[in-house]
This record gives sequence, structure tokens and C-alpha cells, in this order.
Amino acid sequence: MTDEPRPKKSFYQNLKEIIYGMAAHDMSRYAIRTRASMEHLFILITMGDLLGIPILPPYYSLRLLPYVVPQIATWKRRMLREKDLSDAMF
Amino acid sequence: MSLKDTFLNNPERRYVMFGGKGGLGKTTFSAATAFWLASQGNKVLVFSVDPQASLSDIFQQNIFGKGPVKIKENLWAQEIDADSHIKEYQNEIRKKILDMYGFDKVPDEIEQYIQAASAEPAMEESAIFDAVVDIVVKGDYDYYIYDLVPLGHALYYLSMAKVYDEWINRITKLREEMREYEEMVSRLKQEKHTEEDQILTELTYIKNRINASSRILTDREKTAFFFVVVPEEMIILDTMKAAKLFAAFDVPLAGYVVNRVVPRELLSQDIPPYLRNRIEMQDKYLGRIKTELGEQVRAHVPELERDVTGLPMIEKLAGIMYG
Repeated sequence: MTDEPRPKKSFYQNLKEIIYGMAAHDMSRYAIRTRASMEHLFILITMGDLLGIPILPPYYSLRLLPYVVPQIATWKRRMLREKDLSDAMF
Repeated sequence: MSLKDTFLNNPERRYVMFGGKGGLGKTTFSAATAFWLASQGNKVLVFSVDPQASLSDIFQQNIFGKGPVKIKENLWAQEIDADSHIKEYQNEIRKKILDMYGFDKVPDEIEQYIQAASAEPAMEESAIFDAVVDIVVKGDYDYYIYDLVPLGHALYYLSMAKVYDEWINRITKLREEMREYEEMVSRLKQEKHTEEDQILTELTYIKNRINASSRILTDREKTAFFFVVVPEEMIILDTMKAAKLFAAFDVPLAGYVVNRVVPRELLSQDIPPYLRNRIEMQDKYLGRIKTELGEQVRAHVPELERDVTGLPMIEKLAGIMYG
């Protein structure tokens, strides 16, 4: 293994990351989580048939299918998982 | 105003539909109208959205699923084959999945979904709907004559445009909200750009197609919807009900065409009581049609001596309707 020195970050870069971590990281984490929930809601609406819940027109939902192929496994797991109190906390 | 005048007075008209109960002559009138418009020098496509279409029968050649088939100068006819349209569409989806992810085969779960979705009853209607949008948005013809399915289905077809439109609007909105969150994260992380949301692009595409189709169906300038009615009580009642429902969907009603009127000249001949009774019955209902629909009746078409199939008979009928 070659020991390549990692490029040193500038002072400015470090400061930027610290500020991001203090101020914005939580917000963006929250935004990403909300975004993920919405993604699952979206797949539920368009691909409900996969869980046996036909929601609306299959013809056009097929058109969207290729784009959600990677998400389908995690989405199904999330939808069919048992929920408990800790879900609200984490 | 005669049927002919409704066309001459509305040069903007592009889409013509005949609706009514089954077996009253929608296909026949569609064919005759297409024939007449074509003979006036317009490029015309008459097409059927009925899975049990009868354009092949009336033109006496098999056109099912063959795309637009030329019948005569300026006149094309088409019968949409929903099944093969669905198959083609499924293959496109499969190919897209394979291309996007470099799979050798479509994952089982996804394949099952594709097949299950296609088995649903709504699939065929949606496929036809989509095929019609394909045909009309291209704008290759001066006139498009829709040979509609019987009333119930036609209403379903019309309401579908509305339901789809609302549904797509909602999910597009959800997708846009998702997009906002994504952009917010990018801003917080000070990333320069976010990836283009392909799903949003697809949704916008679907939305535009559906809107194009509902716009056509409700366009007062470009679209004319005619009801076919015959002088019989049940048919008049049903047609009135349907007309109300169609009006609720903002379909521009251009008038009524009365079909199967037994020629009154027969009364001066020696005819059996059976026929005389039928003429009297028709008189009663023709009176009713006159009081209730009045000016909106565009033409009376007599019961012909034989059924309308083949170009000579279609030409004859076109002469009666538009002569």
C-alpha cells in the first residue's frame, strides 16, 4: 500500500466544514430524511400494486417504473416493517 | 343548420365524434362523414377506439392493428390494436430498465409487476387513450373522425382524461416538493448543482399528453360531438341522459343526427299494417325529438334498402347526409 499523503485542507475549507457541521448539518439531515419519506410516499402512490394496493392508472405508473427500480427493495422493507415507538425518535 | 353547414361554418373544426348507444350507426356515420370530407379535398383519418371495432367491416378490408390504411384519395382508416400496443409498451419499459442499470434480465419482482399491471382492466382503456393521443398530437391530417365506443365507454374515456389530469397534477406537486428539499440540501452543503429529476421530466411529459387530449375533447372551436339517435322511446331517453353527462364534462355538443327513419313516401303505397304501425310510432317520436331537440337536429337519415358496407354504399349515405 502506498502511503499517499492526503491533500491538506486549507484553513478556510476546515472552517467551512466546522460551520456547516455546527449550523447546517442537522437541517440537511432532516431535509434528507423528509425527502426519503416523500420518495417512499411517491413510490407508494405510483407503484402501490407492488404491495397489493392498486392506487391509480397502471399504464402511466409503468412509465415511471424504470426510475424507481433501485429504491423498490428498501421501500418495500420500510412499508412492511413493524413500527414501534423508537421510529419517532430516530 | 344542416350537417354540411356545421362543417362549412366552422373551418377551424378538426375533431369529429359520433356517439350514441350501440348499433345505431356511429361507425356508419363516421365512415360517411370521413368519405364526404375526403371528397371535399381534406386529408381525413377515421379511427376506432373500440376493441370490437367495425371499420374493417364497413370498408370491407382488414385494417386491424395495421396503422393508418389508405382507403381512397385523402381518406385513411385505422383500428387501434390495444393488445399489441400494450405489449410494445411493456417491451419498451423492460428495455429501458435493462439499459439504465445494465441488467441481463429484468429482476423477477419488477417483471411480475409489469405483468400484473398489464392484466388490470384499466390497462386496455389507458393504452387506447394513449394511442389516440399519439395519433392526434401528430397532426398529420386535416380532420380526425373518432369512431367512439358505445355511450358508457365513451363517458369512461372522457372522465379518464379528467381523473388522470388531477392525479398527475397531485403527484407532480409531490415530486416538486421533493425537489425543493433536494435543492435545500444542496444549498446547505454548498454544492453547485442538483441532478435533473428524470421522474419529474416523465411526469411533465405524461401531464402534457393528458392535457393535450382533454383540451381536444373540450375545445369548442376544433371539436364537434354528434349524437346518433333513432326515433324510439328508450333510445331518446338514454341519449338525453347521456347528453347531460357529456355536457358535465364540457364536451362541445354539435347536434343530433336521427337515423333509421322509415321513408314516408311508403305511406302512399299499398304497405302492410306492420310497416304502417312502425311509421306511426316513428312519427310520434320524431315529434318528440323535434320538440325537445328542435334546432339541434342536423339531419334525418332514412332506413336504407340494405346495410352500409363498401365504398359505393358509404358514398350513397354521404350523399344523403351532406348532399
